[in-house]
Amino acid sequence: MDLELNEDQSMLISALQSILDRYRELPSEHRRDRSFYSLDLDNQLLTNGFLDAVRTPGMGALEAALVIAEAATAPVSVEVGASALIAPHITDAILPRPIVLISGDLGKAQRYLNVAKTALMDVGDDILVIAVEAANVEAVDTIYAYPYGRFITPPDLSKAQRLGKAAVAPFRQWSRVALAAECAGLMRTAVDFTVDYVKQRRMFGTTLGTYQAVQHRLAQCHQIARATHYLAMKAAWSGDPMDASAAACFAQQHIQKLTFDLHQFNGGMGVTNEHKLHFWTYRFRALQSELGGANGAAHEIADLLWGPVEAPRTPDTPALREAARRKGGAAKTPGMARHLDPALT
Amino acid sequence: MEFAWTESQQRYREQVATFLEDNLPDDWFDTYCHGLGSPQQIDYARIFCPKLAKAGLLTPQWPAEYGGRDGEPWEQFILAEELWSWGEPRGPQYMNVNWIGPALMRFGTAEQKAEHLSRIATGEVIWCQGFSEPQAGTDLAALQTKAERIGDHYLINGMKIWTSYSYKADWCFLLARTGPERKAISCFLVPMNSKGVSVVPFPGLPEYGHLNEVFFEDVEVPLGNLVGEEGKGWEVITYALSYERVGLPRYHWGRKVLDTAVAQLQAEGRFDDPMVRAHAGRIVSKFEAARVLTYLVVDQRVKRTPDTTDPNVQRITAADACCELMNFLMEYLPDCLSGGERYLELFYRHNIPATIAAGTYELQLDLIAQRGLTLPRGR
Repeated sequence: MDLELNEDQSMLISALQSILDRYRELPSEHRRDRSFYSLDLDNQLLTNGFLDAVRTPGMGALEAALVIAEAATAPVSVEVGASALIAPHITDAILPRPIVLISGDLGKAQRYLNVAKTALMDVGDDILVIAVEAANVEAVDTIYAYPYGRFITPPDLSKAQRLGKAAVAPFRQWSRVALAAECAGLMRTAVDFTVDYVKQRRMFGTTLGTYQAVQHRLAQCHQIARATHYLAMKAAWSGDPMDASAAACFAQQHIQKLTFDLHQFNGGMGVTNEHKLHFWTYRFRALQSELGGANGAAHEIADLLWGPVEAPRTPDTPALREAARRKGGAAKTPGMARHLDPALT
Repeated sequence: MEFAWTESQQRYREQVATFLEDNLPDDWFDTYCHGLGSPQQIDYARIFCPKLAKAGLLTPQWPAEYGGRDGEPWEQFILAEELWSWGEPRGPQYMNVNWIGPALMRFGTAEQKAEHLSRIATGEVIWCQGFSEPQAGTDLAALQTKAERIGDHYLINGMKIWTSYSYKADWCFLLARTGPERKAISCFLVPMNSKGVSVVPFPGLPEYGHLNEVFFEDVEVPLGNLVGEEGKGWEVITYALSYERVGLPRYHWGRKVLDTAVAQLQAEGRFDDPMVRAHAGRIVSKFEAARVLTYLVVDQRVKRTPDTTDPNVQRITAADACCELMNFLMEYLPDCLSGGERYLELFYRHNIPATIAAGTYELQLDLIAQRGLTLPRGR
């Protein structure tokens, strides 16, 4: 157990930060945009190998998650999660990128679709790889701080490559890890941005940040960002579906609070595009419902820990198995004996 | 960064689990059901802890010269996780190991170390924490119990409250005022059988044994029982509380309790409800957040990282998870507080003061905001 970055990880993040530092401000012509996808940064990440961690010896999913979180700290958006973490876990092929993730209705607007070259589509029992034709995509106006696009004509799914049923579970799992890692970077930066703001902003003769009502809520926002970061990194490190769902569930259930509190403390300025807050808050707002949202992840946790709804009602937890093993004797593990299936006791 | 347990840590965890399997009596659950502060569990701790000590598992991370075996700091934590998942059969003695012993190692005299550390390491002694007073809970510096130096002893007068386990304790780690300045506070080791010490338990929402008033009337304490320098007890307290605040792996216990609650709902055919399942899943994510942040804090302690506010962040994360689980119990299994499952009731009642004890939830937020986020002190 070592929760500090090792030397290689520190170097990786330090190198990434030195690139990101060039993108902390938006180009002047895009300063008031709702979102800005930086093709230049995208190219920098690609050519400098930041999207290759999973396939690089000595590195892996944890390093990819660190890159996702760090890249999210920039106000500009760039597709990292699908390329760096999800695709390498479900196919050996190097897919044309940026990559858009699609589940559900093909007619709806999709995050990154208007910049994407490939779409990965979850159709329930398979993952489809769809080549995206730019001419078949129209940009969609949105206040989310990602670019969104919609297919003009739904693509012909019969022409898509099929990765098979075995790809579905890892697709969903790594999508949740990528989502949580991205939320971690977005949350951290949005909190830091707001902390800086309330230290400067004066109200009723004092700075806003001196009010305890503000301090306590910002402390809670910091706690959420911190927990999300370590949950996401643990999920990336372990490759455990439970960890992935826990990370996404925690992140997504707290997005509402972060959005409310951080915008509240940035006041009227925070609702203008000129103020940069929305570049982070309206990215995590966009992630709030993805992959089924917090409830979807929570149901996944319930299924993994206590069995799916359709399963027979014999409980199957380590503690209950232990209690069952002791059948015939008094249960030492508190509280278990009375809840065993009669067949077990 | 990596989250793996080493082979030796895994072996240690298995060793603890095997010990518990072999040594806890078949009626342990009945003992547990009386509550952590109950006479039954405190008495059992006097039987259990010496066995744990004999097996080298009570103070593994302590230096060998104080009865430990120079184990790595993570071992104390693995031990706590395993023991709390079984209901903490060490009873109040978890405090001895977590912070009373370490505080004495750091600030105690040679005589104090010789007298107390060996008794803690052999599992023979029950301590209580004489900190809080009616007007001094989270604001400990407001305490009014006085210690007056007279000749070869201190004369102590005052009262403590919320003093868990005190009615069964052998010793009290006492804070008392030794000067008029706000932080002129000193620490004393007071035998609970001293003339002038009396304990009055009183009923309340937490389980029995946690709510006691302790009165000190002209209690004479030898000068040699002062810990550290007179008037510099604040340093001792700060050190002790930094150990106390991450000492309890609530996430491990909480996950077990949630498993039990879910098993009951499954047995009653009520766990197919999507809202109930989602609620349970969300609670798991909160306990896992508390777990990973606790590991972060322990890792920082092992590496002697300069103070951060991550222990405070961990505290509120664990408190949030516990509150959500208590809420889950009230929504779906309310009879746990009226004659239903005792295991659930114990968790609920034990955690009622979880957002108050050892520094309130709001104090943790103050510390995060002002020390962590460097927001200015103000209104």
